[in-house]
Amino acid sequence: MTKKQDNNHDGLKKSHDQSLSRRDFVKTGAAASLGASALLNSGAANAQDSSSAFNVNWDYEVDVIIAGGGCAGLTAAIRARDLGASVMVVDQNYDLGGRMLHSGSFTSLGGGDPVQLRDIKGDPDKEGFITANPAEEPKELDDSIDLLFTDITDWSVLDPKAQSPYRYNDRELVRAWAENCPATRQFLIDNYVRFARISGTHGGGGLSRARGARCFFMIGEKTDIKAGTITAEDAGVADYERTSAFAPVQMMDASRLVGPGAVMNGAALSRPLEYSAREKGVEFMLHRHFDEVIRENPFSGRVLGISAHYSPRQHPDTGELMQSYWQNGNVDERRQTVCIKARRAVILASGGHAGNPEIRSMFYPAMREPAFPTSGVALQGPHGQDASALIAGLRVGANLSGMQQNISYPTTFHIAPRLGTRDAYTTMMPGHPTFGFRGSAGINVGSVGFEEFIAVNQVGKRFFNEVRLPARPSPSRYPGADGGSPGRGLDHKPLDWRNCRKEWVREMYNYDHGLDAALAINEGSEAPDYYSGPLWAIFDQSAVERTGWEMRYPYIANNGYSFKADTIEELAQQIFKGHEFQRMPLKYLTETVATWNRYVNDGVDPEFEREVDAPMNPIVEPPFYALSIMVIWHDSYGGLRVNGRQQVVDMQGQVIPGLYAGGEAVGGFNKHGLGKGHVHGYIAGTHAAEDSYA
Amino acid sequence: MKKIINTLYIMLAVPAMGISQQLDEMGQFEHGQQLYQTNCTLCHMDTGAGSPPMFRALNQNEQLINNTLIVTNIKQGTGAMPAFPDLDADEIAALATYIRNAWDNNYGEVISEEVAAILAQMDQVVQMSSVWDGVYTESQAQRGQSLYSGTCGACHGRRLNGAPEDPDMVSTPPLARARFLRVWEGRSLATLFEYTRVTMPAGNPASLTNEEFIDVIAYMLFVSGIPAGNHELQPDTTSLAHILIERQ
Repeated sequence: MTKKQDNNHDGLKKSHDQSLSRRDFVKTGAAASLGASALLNSGAANAQDSSSAFNVNWDYEVDVIIAGGGCAGLTAAIRARDLGASVMVVDQNYDLGGRMLHSGSFTSLGGGDPVQLRDIKGDPDKEGFITANPAEEPKELDDSIDLLFTDITDWSVLDPKAQSPYRYNDRELVRAWAENCPATRQFLIDNYVRFARISGTHGGGGLSRARGARCFFMIGEKTDIKAGTITAEDAGVADYERTSAFAPVQMMDASRLVGPGAVMNGAALSRPLEYSAREKGVEFMLHRHFDEVIRENPFSGRVLGISAHYSPRQHPDTGELMQSYWQNGNVDERRQTVCIKARRAVILASGGHAGNPEIRSMFYPAMREPAFPTSGVALQGPHGQDASALIAGLRVGANLSGMQQNISYPTTFHIAPRLGTRDAYTTMMPGHPTFGFRGSAGINVGSVGFEEFIAVNQVGKRFFNEVRLPARPSPSRYPGADGGSPGRGLDHKPLDWRNCRKEWVREMYNYDHGLDAALAINEGSEAPDYYSGPLWAIFDQSAVERTGWEMRYPYIANNGYSFKADTIEELAQQIFKGHEFQRMPLKYLTETVATWNRYVNDGVDPEFEREVDAPMNPIVEPPFYALSIMVIWHDSYGGLRVNGRQQVVDMQGQVIPGLYAGGEAVGGFNKHGLGKGHVHGYIAGTHAAEDSYA
Repeated sequence: MKKIINTLYIMLAVPAMGISQQLDEMGQFEHGQQLYQTNCTLCHMDTGAGSPPMFRALNQNEQLINNTLIVTNIKQGTGAMPAFPDLDADEIAALATYIRNAWDNNYGEVISEEVAAILAQMDQVVQMSSVWDGVYTESQAQRGQSLYSGTCGACHGRRLNGAPEDPDMVSTPPLARARFLRVWEGRSLATLFEYTRVTMPAGNPASLTNEEFIDVIAYMLFVSGIPAGNHELQPDTTSLAHILIERQ
C-alpha cells in the first residue's frame, strides 16, 4: 500500500510531504523534507542536547520573540513594539498574515467596542468612507463586557448538531478576552484597519448582540494602506480569474456595508497590520519554522528563547525563493538552524494543528487520513497549522486544554462544496505566486450541486446520500422567534435551561453525518492505517449542461484532482493513475454507475433514499467526469493551556515564566474566527513587553 | 407562450347535500391541502403557524369565518401577500376548505358556488403570462447584477448557485437555473417578490427599495437563461401576480 511514485501531474508542484505515509517516511529518511510529524522527534540540534540550556549559542537577541505572523502574532508584535520592546517575528511561510490573509476578515469582538458605538450613533468612519446606513438596530448593538462574557461561557446554547460551543470554555480566559475586546478594536483601528458596518455576529460571537464587522478598502488608483485604497487588480475584482500577490483571495463587494466602491476581506485586515508592524520597526525572519522553546531546564526555569529551522518556500514554477510582498524589516537568514534569545518573552502564535494529520488524530483518529488537508494549503505551505506550538509546548512541560472542543463547531471539519482541487477552502486564482501549488481553483457547486452526481469512495462505491453529504449544522440556535443569531437575537435569554431542553433539541436537530460516513473504513482500508481514502464526484456531460459548471482552467486542471474520460472504466483507471492518494483501483466504479442508472430508471434508491431529496439523473452521456471531494479540517480549539494573561501554564498549574501563547495555538476557548486571535495577541503583547528577564 | 385562463364563472344552482357530496368534501380537503403546499407553506408554514409578524398565522385565525375576505385575499392579494389570480373557484373553495378545517381550525367547508358568487363581484378576465415571455430588460438585469453582488452575493454566491465565496459560510438556496426554477415552479413572480422583499437580506430585511428588489429578480431570471424583452419588470404585485414561474 505504499504511495505510487508515478505522479504525472502537470499543474501541481508538490509542495508538501503529506502524501508520504508514515512508513514511507521512515523508509526514505526524508531528511531534506522534514514533515510536521517528524518534528515531534527532531530535537533542535544545538539547543537541548544537554539538560541545561545555559550553553546555547545564541544567534540573535531581542526583547520579545513571536512564533507566527498571523492574526495573534502580528497584533502581539505591534502591541509589544508600541510598549517599547524590540520584537522579532519568525514565520515558516514566505509572506505574513497566516490564515488571516486569506480570511473573510469577519472580526467578532463586542462588549461595547468602538465600532458598535459608532454604528449605534449611525456615524460614518473617521475618514468618511462609510456611506451605508448601519445594518443593525441600535438595540442590537447595545452591548457590555458582562453580556459578552456571559454569552461566550453560556452552557445552555446548542447548535443543530446538539453541540455546545461555549459550555466548556475556560472562564478566566474568556473573561480576560471580553475585557480586552473594546481596546483591541480600537488598537486595530489605530493600525490602519478599517471596519465596515457591523452585520450580525460570527459563529463564535455569542447570540445576544451583533458584534461582527468585516474590514475594507476603497477601490482607487493605487494601493495605499495609509489612504485606505486598493487597485481593482490588487483586489482581484478587475478580472475574476486573476488574483494578486497582495490579496491571495478575491475581495468581496462591500457596497452594502460600506458604500459603493468598497471591497472587503482578510487582505484589508492583514496587510494594514503588517504595514504598521513594519513601519514601527518589528523585524521579520521569514522562511523560518519555529521548532523548540528553549527553557533553562527541560521542565523548569525561565524560557530563554527559541530555535527555528530554515523552511524555504520556492516558487512553484521558477523554483526561486519566494519574496514577501513587502521587505522592509525582513532579516535574510538562511542557516539551517538558528537560536534566538528573548530578553523578555516568547509568544507562541504559530496556529493550530489542523494541517498535521498525526496530531489531528488526538481529536478524531479517522482524520489522520493525509488525503485531507487544512484550509489554505497552497498559501500556507507544508508547515501551515502543523501544531508546532502544541508540540514545542509539550516538550517544556506545558499543559493542554479543551482537548474535546474541536468537535464542537461547524467549520472544524466538514465536506467542502468546492470540488476538483486539494485546496478546497479558498478562491485563489492564477496570478498569486502560490497558485501553482493548488493547480486548480476548483468548482464551487454549493450544497445543491451535490444532487448532480454520485459520490464514491476509494473503491468506487457510494457511501451516503449525496444530497446530504455536505450538510453542516448552522451556528447555535435558541428557541423562539426564528432562532437565528443577531440582529434577531434580542429575545435570546442566556443561561436559560430552555435553550437546551430536549424538546427544543429534537425540534432543531439537523445533522446528517455524511462526513462520518465519508471517513468510515471501506474495503480499501488496510492495516495498519485503515485510511478511508479520497472521495470522488462522478457525473456526465448532461450534469455539466444542467448546472453550467465551467469545466476548464483555472477551475480544473490536469493536476490529479479532476479527470475526464469517454467511458467509466477509463475514468476509474485515470483516477488510480493520476491521484496522489488513490492507493488502489476503484474496482467497483463501473458496477456502481450501472446500479445507479438502474435506480434512476426505477425512481428509487434503496441504499440511500436519494429520491426523497432531489431528482435523480442518470450518468450515461459521455464524456464522464470525476472531481475530488475534500474533507477540510479548519479550526483548532484544543491546544496549550494559558491563563488570562496568555501565559502558558504547566501540568502542575504553574506559569512557565516568559512563555505566552495566543490564537489557535491555545485551547479551552471555542470561539471561531479572528476576534479570538487579535485579543490574545493584544493581551500577550501587553504583558510580554513588560515581562522582566531576571 | 401566453396562456389565457378561462375564468367565466357561471352561477349554478346549489344542489341539495347528499352522500356523494360528502365524499366530494373529503376530496376537496385533500385537493386544498395540495394547493396549500404549493402556494402557501412558504410563508404560512405546514403548521399554519405562519411566521408573525411577517407572515400571519392561519391556525386559530378567527378572520377565517369571513369567506369573502378569504376569497378576495387569495384572488387579489393583501399587504405583503401576493395575489393568486390563476386559481379558479373550485381551487379557491378547496383551499379555503382546507385552511378553515386544518390544524385546530373548525370553520366548516366552503363550496365552489359560494366562491364563484364572490368572484362574480370581482374583475373577471385574468390573463396569465410566463417568465419566458420576455418580462424584463437586459439593462434592468445589469442594474440587478451590481445590486446582487453587494447585497445577495455574499451568501448566495457569485454564480447564484447558493455557494458563498466565504467558505466559512454555509450554503444557501440557489437563486437561478434549473434547481431554482424547480423549487419556484408554479408560483408567481409576485410571490417571489414579496417573499424576497419581506425576508431578505437575512440579517436586515427590506433594506433595498422595491425597485432594487425587482431589478435583482430580473438578474436572477437572466442568469437562469430566461430571455429578456422590451419592457422592464415593475415592482407592482398586481402585475407580477400574473407572471408565472415555469421551467421551459
